[in-house]
Amino acid sequence: MTTLEQLSEAISLGKNKDARLFAQRAIDENIPPAQIVDHALVPAMALVGERFKRNEIFVPEMLIAARAMKEAMTLLEPRLIAAGVTPKFTAIIGTVQGDLHDIGKNLVATMWKGANFRVVDLGANVSPAKFVAAVQEHRPHLVGLSALLTTTMPAMIDTVRAIRASGASAVKIVIGGAPITQQFCEEIGADGYAPDAGSAVDKASELVAAGAIDSPP
Amino acid sequence: MKEAEIIVRWPDGAPERRLPAGRVRSDSLATRFMQAGRPLNTRCGQRGNCAGCTVELLAGTFQQRDGAVISARAEIKACQGNVPPGTQALLAAPARSLAVHRPQVVTTFKLGVTAAQQPLVPVTPGVCDHGLAIDVGTTTVVVALVDLLTGRIVREESAFNRQIELGDDVLTRIQLAGLAQQREALRHSIVDETLTPLIWQACAFAGIPFERIAGAVVAGNTTMLHLLTGTDPTAMGVAPFRASFIHHRVMTAGELQLGVLPAGAPVHLLPGISAYVGADLVAGCACTGLLNATGPSLLVDIGTNGEILLWHGGRLLVTATAAGPAFEGGRLSRGTRAVAGAVAHVEFGRHGFPPRLRTIPGSNIVGLCGSAYVDFLAQARSSGLLAASGRWDLAIWRVLPAAHRCEGADGRGVRLAPASDATIITERDVAELLQAKAAIAAGIQTLLRRAGLTPPDVQRLYLAGGFGLHLDVSHAIACGLLPGFTAAQIEVVGNTSLGGAWLALVDRSVVAEMANLGATAAIVELNREPGFEDTFIDRMMLP
Repeated sequence: MTTLEQLSEAISLGKNKDARLFAQRAIDENIPPAQIVDHALVPAMALVGERFKRNEIFVPEMLIAARAMKEAMTLLEPRLIAAGVTPKFTAIIGTVQGDLHDIGKNLVATMWKGANFRVVDLGANVSPAKFVAAVQEHRPHLVGLSALLTTTMPAMIDTVRAIRASGASAVKIVIGGAPITQQFCEEIGADGYAPDAGSAVDKASELVAAGAIDSPP
Repeated sequence: MKEAEIIVRWPDGAPERRLPAGRVRSDSLATRFMQAGRPLNTRCGQRGNCAGCTVELLAGTFQQRDGAVISARAEIKACQGNVPPGTQALLAAPARSLAVHRPQVVTTFKLGVTAAQQPLVPVTPGVCDHGLAIDVGTTTVVVALVDLLTGRIVREESAFNRQIELGDDVLTRIQLAGLAQQREALRHSIVDETLTPLIWQACAFAGIPFERIAGAVVAGNTTMLHLLTGTDPTAMGVAPFRASFIHHRVMTAGELQLGVLPAGAPVHLLPGISAYVGADLVAGCACTGLLNATGPSLLVDIGTNGEILLWHGGRLLVTATAAGPAFEGGRLSRGTRAVAGAVAHVEFGRHGFPPRLRTIPGSNIVGLCGSAYVDFLAQARSSGLLAASGRWDLAIWRVLPAAHRCEGADGRGVRLAPASDATIITERDVAELLQAKAAIAAGIQTLLRRAGLTPPDVQRLYLAGGFGLHLDVSHAIACGLLPGFTAAQIEVVGNTSLGGAWLALVDRSVVAEMANLGATAAIVELNREPGFEDTFIDRMMLP
């Protein structure tokens, strides 16, 4: 197996120490960081997403794989930036105001990175104003909003409204979290709903592909 | 003549207990059981037509209604006579004869402290000398009628919190209560539909008129106390999770609109610590004696929110961890609360399958409750059926007897009882359980790490609440729910919320201790703890 194949396997199996080891080895072998991402990280996470969709793995294994990818990414990210490599699409993600739960949001962020999005993670308990400011600063193609508590769902409504009102009409908003439903998504005028981290990748790709045809931001 | 002295041997190796005599002389042995709060299954209405109330007479005699006297050992229908007054008898009550406990509520608690006999509420012997200790849980509510002259619990009544019909969990109810009309509906539901009938029953069964109730003490989580008093809990639903009141509060029965009690009777609401660590946990600290421990001690209450309290070096660290509803049966394909018909224990035999199941009596199998899943995780892992990842080891799964295997839209599953689809466990269920147990385990570990401790440093881990009652502690350790601990460190303490309410009621010095506790507690927000997520992921796999 090549180093990239080994790295890819370590990530999809969630072996974070191996992931770090093989990522370092790939760097040492002078493989360009963008190529490491494209040929190891992206296929590994695509495989994880596929297996998740086929019910071959569940959230725990997905979390473990995502952590392994993050390990590899911490080594690669500074090199990607140094090499001036930026992914084609940018996404902003955060947990809405009033909600501190971020494990689900972090998983989606990693899955998106694994699908070669540039992801700006605003963290948890993010106010509508902060989302708007980040949208203006980063001009993302996509904004992801997460809420775990039924009581913080109203904050999602406020955030969607604030982003729309700020004039960022082209940006696609995708929402998710335990209490969220497709119906809620339609009610609050978000562009997409993802019931889990696996479908969050599909939804993101679908929305940015549509957006790219509509009107690039 | 005095009623007979009756000692009962309870099922499942529970300790023998004297059957307290009711205020009114019992007309049958079955009535005596009912008066003692342990009703037998008298489904034919004590007519002797069924064998529901059959108990075993191990020593003593039993006089039937027709005058015939039966001597030990014999099987007797408890509704068809009584143990003669002035005599003694030893009985065994098999599980199948105990009436449907719907819901099964934990009303017992272990007391780790001594209590002074100085009631919190003013007592006039013979006139106004009883009190109520009340635990308002999100799911279940218990009212204990206490004789304040002796401190003895005379009668306990329990039921589901009727607010469940309006909203299943705390957050749904917080959200509902944002609207004044719904808030009033929730208040009405707990005061008029839940507490009032329970108080009524407790007093009626014990033969105590309401006028003799001198006052009450209420423990419960912060949300329940808000809803009981009609207070808007909205600010507790979103960060920074602020409670409108958290201190010890004395109201009157009239103010709470508890019309069944004398209007002026004081009702003490116990103090809490924060929106998510409420008076129920503070009561638990007092009841278990956690604060008197000489070494680091933990109080853990496993529910949708797992609450964890660490007492160490004169300081209390508290946290709540989002375990989700899995251990209460939520989000699992065959999950249920601990109700009649729930499988509570799973015991793998020497060859694994078929496992022996123990079900809460009163119904056919309706599903599996949290303790059964914990049993399963531990034994399926140790037998190799489950890999560390929570997936079936297919080599072993494939050789299970066909009736124990199932495969469908939910993926591959295991059927614990070949005849019952209500006993199926799927890999998806296991994945949910892994996340729930990881949340609790990581919560405990993070709190210990904050204090610079590891599990072996902990002198005692008190496991409170309904989940703890059925839990096989060694299986909880083995499946990684309480990792790194030994069974000897863990003590299952029952309903310590009720216990703390009782303690505060009979010993007036306790409320002040509870109030001090809130002041010394430091709240740890797990999601803001560096390393929590990593620990959570580490704890996800089966050991």
